[in-house]
Amino acid sequence: MQILTKNWNKIDPLRIDSYIKTGGYESLRKAIREMTPEKIIEEVKKSGLRGRGGAGFPTGDKWDLAAKTPAKEKYFICNLDESEPGVYKDRTIAEKNPHQIIEGLLIGATAIGAKKAFIYINGYYRKQNEILEIALEQARGKEFIGRSMLGSAIDIEVDIFQGAGAYICGEETALINSVEGNRGEPRLKPPYPPVAGLFGKPTIVNNAETLANVPFIIKRGAKTYSQIGVSGSPGTKLFVLEGAVKKQGIFEAPLGTTAQELIYNSLYGGGMASGKDFLFAQIGGASGRLVTAGKLDQPLAYGAGEYNLGCGSIFVADKSTDLKNLLFSWADFFHRESCGKCVPCREGTYRLWEIAKRIKKNEILKRDKENIEDILWTLSNTTFCPLGNFAAIAWSDAMKMFGKEIFG
Amino acid sequence: MSLQKILVQIEPKPENLLRALKAAQKENKYIGEKECEKIADYFSLPLARIYSFASFFNEIRTKKETKKNIRICSGGPCLSKDSAKVARQIEMLLGLEAGNDAHPKYKLEYISCLGLCDRGPVVEVEGQIFERVKPEMVDDIIQSYL
Ligand SMILES: Cc1cc2nc3c(=O)[nH]c(=O)nc-3n(C[C@H](O)[C@H](O)[C@H](O)COP(=O)(O)O)c2cc1C
Ligand code: SF4
Ligand code: FES
Repeated sequence: MQILTKNWNKIDPLRIDSYIKTGGYESLRKAIREMTPEKIIEEVKKSGLRGRGGAGFPTGDKWDLAAKTPAKEKYFICNLDESEPGVYKDRTIAEKNPHQIIEGLLIGATAIGAKKAFIYINGYYRKQNEILEIALEQARGKEFIGRSMLGSAIDIEVDIFQGAGAYICGEETALINSVEGNRGEPRLKPPYPPVAGLFGKPTIVNNAETLANVPFIIKRGAKTYSQIGVSGSPGTKLFVLEGAVKKQGIFEAPLGTTAQELIYNSLYGGGMASGKDFLFAQIGGASGRLVTAGKLDQPLAYGAGEYNLGCGSIFVADKSTDLKNLLFSWADFFHRESCGKCVPCREGTYRLWEIAKRIKKNEILKRDKENIEDILWTLSNTTFCPLGNFAAIAWSDAMKMFGKEIFG
Repeated sequence: MSLQKILVQIEPKPENLLRALKAAQKENKYIGEKECEKIADYFSLPLARIYSFASFFNEIRTKKETKKNIRICSGGPCLSKDSAKVARQIEMLLGLEAGNDAHPKYKLEYISCLGLCDRGPVVEVEGQIFERVKPEMVDDIIQSYL
């Protein structure tokens, strides 16, 4: 079943007509002409759609909260910040079928009553930014965006907001701060954005992939959608396969598919690259857990199993992988991207990075091993936002699995 | 173009602040104190707020860069495509160490994943992105840019 990749390479992303020919914007038309906002939200709730940004929060419930919070102004933001190492699924949707995201965004904004929407895009995605600019312009030309959309009283404006290199701005409250012209530091929750978000108004932040599912749900109905995937996690998901597999890239598979299938099935990764022996798979980007061969057979779904699927990336490390470089890679990333708001993360990621540099140069000090444990505990338990916890996940697993190898 | 001319094209609303900084940086290469002051005036915001905002982002420079800048992605997928060898080649060619700012003319830094993992290893030289870089390409890339 293909929902997200169906028309990739078939349609021309620079021509709205080629999207419309495949039935594009029919869902928006249906949502505006045949459905009330309540009905749209009801349908999304019934579909069981869960957020693809990593946390898997039920999308319909979130929309409902924003819709029911009384306010003159509301905002809808598509999160295309995507800066987790090893993840490029949202970038690829924007590249191959930008209108699918825009249509989902417009349906969402209509449902909650937002007049202003943003697409918050990773600052490095320059080409995708241009594609989206063109797509928005063409959608305005067809009256899908702007005043009296499709002849109705609905009026939604959509702007692109380009980031400037900050992983933390993918976190929704940090993202909102940066749109307001403040440092991209996370806010204390509650209040949650659907109640008080951008400029203090009810705001929905949804991942780009989440939104790309919405046109299908509106067109084909919640029931059809909810039968794809597994109970509790319906629909398909984009998985990114990188590392020592035969076929790297993006694959669409029903939720509930196992990493085993994704790595070895010829539909997806097609097995290990020739001459490579499996060591572990890291699931969910640099903040993902390290999964050994014996545990690959758990279904990748939300809230199930021992490990999260996160944003759906699988990085396969093989026995020739230089673990010291990999440890440095994780530490380097989180130390650079810690926003600095809270001490345990700011200092913890920095010290871990210093140790990682020593490990890489084979200059480990006696006290480093003990310190690593302290730092990892502190990151896992005391930081203000999840980034601090993320920084400790892969390292903790690596210490358990390869601590002896690394420290002798 | 003068900073003033760039700014008048942008509506002074908070959600346009980052856009203004980026546009100013494109012209001026960095946002120093003088630029911050002008932007603060234009947006009617305190200078400290502009500076604190500008200094937050990896891609906004608040100091003049005198060295030639080379950056290499440190992400896992790029690593698995041999980015470490590429980094070593650059270090050897320029006689410096990544992350160490001691060289008078060049600076080699690690950079977070750019989302171009399928086209890695990714190297950025003076703002220009190079994909699928192999150690043997390093010479040409560096020479044509520096
Ligand atoms: C450190 C951190 C980074 C995040 N980065 C992203 C991101 O790049 N893209 C994204 O969609 N969500 C990201 N999230 C999750 C968002 O906070 C938010 O939950 C998500 O955008 C909600 O959309 P969804 O419900 O459609 O998943 C991040 C969260 C954290 C804690
Ligand atoms: S955990 Fe890290 S990223 Fe999160 S608020 Fe603290 S310093 Fe910032
Ligand atoms: S890991 Fe290098 S671009 Fe993603």
